Amino acid sequence: MEKILAKKSFPQWVKKLDSWRVYIPRKDEEGRWNYFEADGGEVSLDVLQTTLPPKKILFPQREVFLEFAKTLAGNRETLEIKEVLPEVKPTVIIGARPCEARAAWMLDEVFGGEFKDVYYWKRRDQTTLVGFACTTPPSENCFCTSVEGSPHSEEGLDLLLTDLGDRYYVQSMTAKGEKLISAAKALFEEPKPEAKKQVKAAHAESEKKIRRQLKDARPIAQKLKGMFDSPLWDEESMSCLRCGICTYLCPSCHCFDIGDEVESPSPLKGQRVRTWDTCQFPDFTMHSSGHNPRPDKASRLRQRLLHKFQYFIQVYDKFMCVGCGRCITLCPVGIDIIKVLDKVRDHGA
Amino acid sequence: MAKIEDLKEEAKKLLREGKVKYIIGYGAGSNGWLAAPLFIKKPEDVDKLVWDPTCVHNLVRFLVDEKRRKARQKQPDKRPVGIMVKGCDSRAVVVLLQEKFIDRSDVYILGVSCEKMGVVDDAKLAKKLAGKKAKRVEVDAQDRFVVTTEDGKIEMAAEELLAERCLECKANFPVIYDLLSGEKTKRPLDKPFGSLEKIESLSAADRSSFWKEQLDRCIRCYACRSACPMCYCDECVVDSINLAVTADTTADEKAQRIHWIQRSAESSENLVYHLVRAIHLAGRCIDCGECERACPLDIPLRFLNKKLEKEAKELFGYEVGFDPALPALISCFRDEDPQDFIR
Amino acid sequence: MAEDYEPRIVAFLCKWCSSAGSDLAGVSRMEYPPNVVPIQVMCSGSVSPLYIFSAFNKGADGVLVSGCHPGDCHYIKGNYYARRRLNLVKKLLEYVGLETQRFQMSWVSAAEGTKFTQIIKDFVKELKPLGPQTKLRRNP
Repeated sequence: MEKILAKKSFPQWVKKLDSWRVYIPRKDEEGRWNYFEADGGEVSLDVLQTTLPPKKILFPQREVFLEFAKTLAGNRETLEIKEVLPEVKPTVIIGARPCEARAAWMLDEVFGGEFKDVYYWKRRDQTTLVGFACTTPPSENCFCTSVEGSPHSEEGLDLLLTDLGDRYYVQSMTAKGEKLISAAKALFEEPKPEAKKQVKAAHAESEKKIRRQLKDARPIAQKLKGMFDSPLWDEESMSCLRCGICTYLCPSCHCFDIGDEVESPSPLKGQRVRTWDTCQFPDFTMHSSGHNPRPDKASRLRQRLLHKFQYFIQVYDKFMCVGCGRCITLCPVGIDIIKVLDKVRDHGA
Repeated sequence: MAKIEDLKEEAKKLLREGKVKYIIGYGAGSNGWLAAPLFIKKPEDVDKLVWDPTCVHNLVRFLVDEKRRKARQKQPDKRPVGIMVKGCDSRAVVVLLQEKFIDRSDVYILGVSCEKMGVVDDAKLAKKLAGKKAKRVEVDAQDRFVVTTEDGKIEMAAEELLAERCLECKANFPVIYDLLSGEKTKRPLDKPFGSLEKIESLSAADRSSFWKEQLDRCIRCYACRSACPMCYCDECVVDSINLAVTADTTADEKAQRIHWIQRSAESSENLVYHLVRAIHLAGRCIDCGECERACPLDIPLRFLNKKLEKEAKELFGYEVGFDPALPALISCFRDEDPQDFIR
Repeated sequence: MAEDYEPRIVAFLCKWCSSAGSDLAGVSRMEYPPNVVPIQVMCSGSVSPLYIFSAFNKGADGVLVSGCHPGDCHYIKGNYYARRRLNLVKKLLEYVGLETQRFQMSWVSAAEGTKFTQIIKDFVKELKPLGPQTKLRRNP
């Protein structure tokens, strides 16, 4: 389904979505972009890249799996374990960038497949993604077109909005998306044929505006297979600080840790929780024997790149990088994934 | 800011003669206007060194890595490492020497003076440009900043763009060095702790909500800890696994390990983590501002450390990072230390 | 605040003076509020700031660190180190908005059973109007 929504009607449309929990990117007083709940406040799609991707809405940093408690009745001890499933209201993420939606589409693969992650899917099934095509790139480090994405990609999205000056061109890809349109039918118009032409042109134009490029991503992925022991990793990781920025803020990184948080040791009471974790922390691969198979920064940088550009491709035939450029923009020491992969490509040439 | 031709000559000589293993300096960054750490092994690469107000990083952090690397090697190369330091960074070297974490012979210090300038605050710059991206940041002859963006050049007074810590800097030039580039000039400083006034003047309840609001954003990526040259503990209290686990550590010992702070990024845990970090840096933080700069969520961490720096000065007359022979703040005392708070 | 609110105090007492002082209060049958959980430590100088943060984090409404009087430390100078370090802790806790009354330090010698009971009485009295501590507490 394709529709037209006047820009001035956009806030009205968001208001009509009152049976959903609506998230939208917004700038706080200090000028930081992030996804916030709309909560009837001002909404606009005049936004730049948020620091945190909407990943945290689908895959929160902390999730309770179960609660446990020991009780003592007489001299009988019983351990009670209660599963905790997230109670999720239908949710819409408005203004998700096509790359961020592609990342969600990758998370779906990871948390789906043979064994479904019930906690993830409880949220995912209730979430509708409304994308906003990047007619101007939201960050100077965008390179989605190099990793098989595009600034108007529909993958993972339910609706895609494209800015056409005073109105949005709305494409609906799924029934979930159509439901959002029918929530405020009167605001949407049928598109005229020239609008379709316009949107095509806007999409084509948007691809040209992406400022950064990684050439030959697929051949690089091939080449990486033989580079496990390359001295390149040592050189490139010299300036790495071993913080978790590149992975925690990555829309497609999804590693986690499961641990018990004990509230009271006696009587025993606590929760089992899942929290984000990252391959960039030394304790990520620490064995209980004390041995660490990834003992240094070089092996951790290599892991991040190989996971994104080799292992994931072998399993799912997709790059696990959507080219949002956050890891480049936010790295405190300027480690640049494009530059590193460029070196991989030119290595030994 | 200083010209560094003499420093480059020295660096070339050091590498040519094999007197240093490698040199840690600043090079052009790939990501916009900001410089990036550069590791130089060959004399011909020395010309890649840059020195301008975008050299914000505290490279002393990499001496910690170097020490770890050496510890892993069977026959480590014992030659010193050359390192470019600003005034603030040099004070970090002093602290590492003071704590005997490194030895003076481990480093060859190439000092650069900020003279009357300092480094750019990326948050201030981002605010000024409101969405536009800077390509270059330079200083003109009148010590004003010239920012080049896609739409042309913008001029700004130094105070508008300099990091807050540079405006409160006590050492615009290195306090310890083997070679110094530039003049030993200081910018006038009337309020060394002026930036704290805003928070200190709040009521306890307002301070509490201020910190709650700020620290609730924390995602525990530990960039603050990672960027800090003083955070060199092998084992941090927030890590989920004891890094000091050895092959002999029993399962029971591991299970009994106290979880002082949970991994969950919750208000209380974030606050305790940042309190632990702040108190651990008391009398050690030299205000290089790296924790705050590295923070992707812009948490004003510097205000925590600066507060303790101020208290150390006011309560104990202690100033960090000037004298490697001085004992650390909390491993010494004076008979007349204040005790009016004790019953 | 509810009338029946009873604050919980965690008290780190040094083995040689303050803990002995609290024992003296006990064996002398001096009365003082039962709100305090004493934890004996070897020296006030061995109290890590983390113990204090952690006590608040795990539900303490007030924390007391008590050691020997200056000059009386069994380890000669442990209490001097404590005095310096905990002064900073106090300032830091106040800075992040914790009520200043919640963290206290005292010198109590082995002979000062009366002083110990007085300190606890005063502490409880000061904590009561503040209500439960929620700022550092997990799951308040």
